[in-house]
Amino acid sequence: MSDAVTYYVITLLVYMGCNVMFVLGLNLQFGLANIINFSYYILVAVGGYFAGLVVLGPAQPVESGGTEYLFGWTLPWPLPVAVAGLTGAVLALLVGVIAVRRLRSDYLAVATLVVGDVTWLLTGNTTSLVNGWNGLTGIPQPLADTLNLPQLQYQWVYLGIVLGFALLSFLLMQRLTHSPFGRSLRAIRENEYTAAACGKDVFRLRMMAMMIGGAIAAVGGALFIEFIGTVQPSMWNVPETFVIFAALIVGGRGNNWGAVLGAILVPVGFLEGSRLLPQDWIDPNLIDPLRWIIIGSVLILVLYFRPQGIFPEPKRRFRRILRQLAIDEGTSLTGKRKAGGGR
Amino acid sequence: MTENPALRVTRVSRSFGGVHAVDGCSFEVRQGTITGLIGPNGAGKSTMLNLLAGALRPDQGSIHFFGSEIAHLPAFRIARQGMARTFQLSSEFARMTVLENLMVAPLHQRGDSLWAAVLGPRAWRREERDHVESAWRLLQRFNLGHLVHEYAGNLSGGQKRLLELARALQMKPRLLLLDEPMAGVNPALISQLADYIAELKGEGLTVVMVEHEMGTVERLCDPVIVMAQGRVLAEGSMAEIRANPAVVTAYLSGQR
Amino acid sequence: MDLLLPTIGFGIVTASILALAAVGFTLQFSVTGVVNFAFGDLMTLGAYIAWMVNTGLHWNIWVGAVAGMLFLAVASVIMNRLLLQPFIRKRTDLFGLLIVTFAFGLIIENALQAIFGPNFQSYSYTPSASVGFLSMTFTVNQLIIIALSVIVMLLVHGLLRYTKVGKAMRAMADDPALARACGIKVARITDLAWLISGALAGLAGFVLVLNTAAFAPSTGEGFLLVIVAAAVLGGVGRPYGAMAGALIVGLVTEVSVIVIPAEDKSVAAFVILVVVLLVRPQGIIAAARG
Repeated sequence: MSDAVTYYVITLLVYMGCNVMFVLGLNLQFGLANIINFSYYILVAVGGYFAGLVVLGPAQPVESGGTEYLFGWTLPWPLPVAVAGLTGAVLALLVGVIAVRRLRSDYLAVATLVVGDVTWLLTGNTTSLVNGWNGLTGIPQPLADTLNLPQLQYQWVYLGIVLGFALLSFLLMQRLTHSPFGRSLRAIRENEYTAAACGKDVFRLRMMAMMIGGAIAAVGGALFIEFIGTVQPSMWNVPETFVIFAALIVGGRGNNWGAVLGAILVPVGFLEGSRLLPQDWIDPNLIDPLRWIIIGSVLILVLYFRPQGIFPEPKRRFRRILRQLAIDEGTSLTGKRKAGGGR
Repeated sequence: MTENPALRVTRVSRSFGGVHAVDGCSFEVRQGTITGLIGPNGAGKSTMLNLLAGALRPDQGSIHFFGSEIAHLPAFRIARQGMARTFQLSSEFARMTVLENLMVAPLHQRGDSLWAAVLGPRAWRREERDHVESAWRLLQRFNLGHLVHEYAGNLSGGQKRLLELARALQMKPRLLLLDEPMAGVNPALISQLADYIAELKGEGLTVVMVEHEMGTVERLCDPVIVMAQGRVLAEGSMAEIRANPAVVTAYLSGQR
Repeated sequence: MDLLLPTIGFGIVTASILALAAVGFTLQFSVTGVVNFAFGDLMTLGAYIAWMVNTGLHWNIWVGAVAGMLFLAVASVIMNRLLLQPFIRKRTDLFGLLIVTFAFGLIIENALQAIFGPNFQSYSYTPSASVGFLSMTFTVNQLIIIALSVIVMLLVHGLLRYTKVGKAMRAMADDPALARACGIKVARITDLAWLISGALAGLAGFVLVLNTAAFAPSTGEGFLLVIVAAAVLGGVGRPYGAMAGALIVGLVTEVSVIVIPAEDKSVAAFVILVVVLLVRPQGIIAAARG
């Protein structure tokens, strides 16, 4: 493999690892808790921005060719990632307060979409915050100085870091999903009034889901932006959110494996993979619109023919516990009794 | 005035846009009874039940639950204090299995907290096992055992009723509020459901039941509280209520 | 002060364009209950059809406009029947339907880009004269736009108030189940609602482009949220409210450039939208039911 191809593969894998985190975060917010946040990608962006803002040095004066932005604290790694996670959680909390209002699901989508769009517009137009439409550039790659490796070696190390975070996120999500905490979230999703009648603090549980999902998304965003070194508003708007939703819906809402699969198929497979198509197959100008046409069509087809996704939410059978109880009791507890009744 | 009533409602009022759904109601519910709450349509029974459960806040008045004031607490806090309620219409967790539905119910589950969830199953497996066991027994009791892994949304209407009752009981409540448990229930099932509720009294549970089906009220409830037009009209045994001319008038006239 | 009148002039033109779109959007929503997130892209499609007729067949742009309206009217009905109805029959939830229309809009926009390229196009017509009024200047085309808008508003008003079909639409908007029970042919009225909304989308798209001179596949999509803002302000699902909402949003966005930077002018509309949606979805304007 030539160096250029290696670089491309590493980039693709980093992209995949980060997208896995994005879709997992959405799975917590939307898959489990069913909170509709149609400007989800803002959480990714905020992680990227804040990581950038605290790792860059202080903003240089504009006259001498610098750019405008806040902070500039030159924090050492891994602090920027921690800061990113925190800001993701906080922003998710703010959005969450809007998104759990008792409103029709499509109105909520519109409301959150508009909030995201306004944020996007204001961020772009206000240069003093994060340098407006040109965004932040020259974000240094983490630990590059301390490790002092040749470029290629460094890329592999960074890929390892990203995949490590992705794996951690996955394990965390699995733990949460398969715990009573996850069960309460799903109960709230199914019927929040009954869940409250069972003693669940609906608002608090939903906000926790928002915050953790937001933190995961933001950390993923930080890792991504630190890899590519730049972040601008053109990288994060409605289409990006749409892609993450499509990924989750195709992969399987409510299923963490589905989230991973969706992340691999949609953002990575469709979007990036199409770059690998040989140049003379298709007029390169057609590739970009074709991608979106395909994603849109696939999503519509999946929503119609398999709305639960490729890996649907699994049915919880409590196998281990039921087996243990059977051993203790000496009777069959698998529910295959023939006793009728209750009709 | 009874000692340590399960519920003491004092001059509770609640209006909706000028309509006094509940208008200065006061009554008590003794521990260990199955107390009926009846009245003609529009009497305010449902509103009263929602006020008790915390789904609505009263405009005035106080509600004491085993001595603690609960009138302005949110529903989930009241539930945590030991008040379980059922709902009239579909209230099951449809895309969760019957067993899972019951597993949501137990109060104070350690695994509910975020940290316990993050720390992993070892923190809560023990409790979980106990809950599965008691859920299983409850399902057996209500003859729903064969449906344990069925999605609750796929159950028949009668089965959902039983599940709802089981869910409330799994909370191990001190008081059970039943919201028209017999509404729309197959007559063949009504008597069976009533049997289950009767058993509860024997176990020391206090039950408050809003109900229209008079046969059930007669069989199970003593005392019975009659509401009409947002107020308490009469209290007493079913026989006393029957003989009360005001009650008869309320049922024959006063419809909205 | 001498900035105010010209911006009001702009505001009236924008409001006219917005009114055409918002009324089409709202009328369809009131009858069907579906938020059509492809509306902006349908407008773009209308603009392109008019352009093809204009530059391809070398016909007058107004003929192109009519062609666009007809095409969109039919296309919208087909979109409902072939794309949306299957999902509605499957009881897909409202958010799901929104995603479907969103995805469809995405497909339209990108199909246009694939066919025509991402570059800006414009109509070929002789630039029209300007007319002064108070201290506002309007081009003749702009005056036509305003006039068209007023005419369409009157027609819609006439339809809703005086025709059987219009009354059926109002009935369906009020209470679909009751309407069906009263024997109203729900499917036909639904078709008609989509037909009208499509025609208006086509007209609004054409008119938008006429006013801004250049357009690209992404033009309509950017306008969508402003349309939704106008529709929501007047009360979701109220065509008369949409008219009033369009006027307010149109004026506010244009006049606001006096105080806030021009790039941010749509922010005002969006903030209004979010606040109204969250606080009072029935709208600020108590539209007269009649």
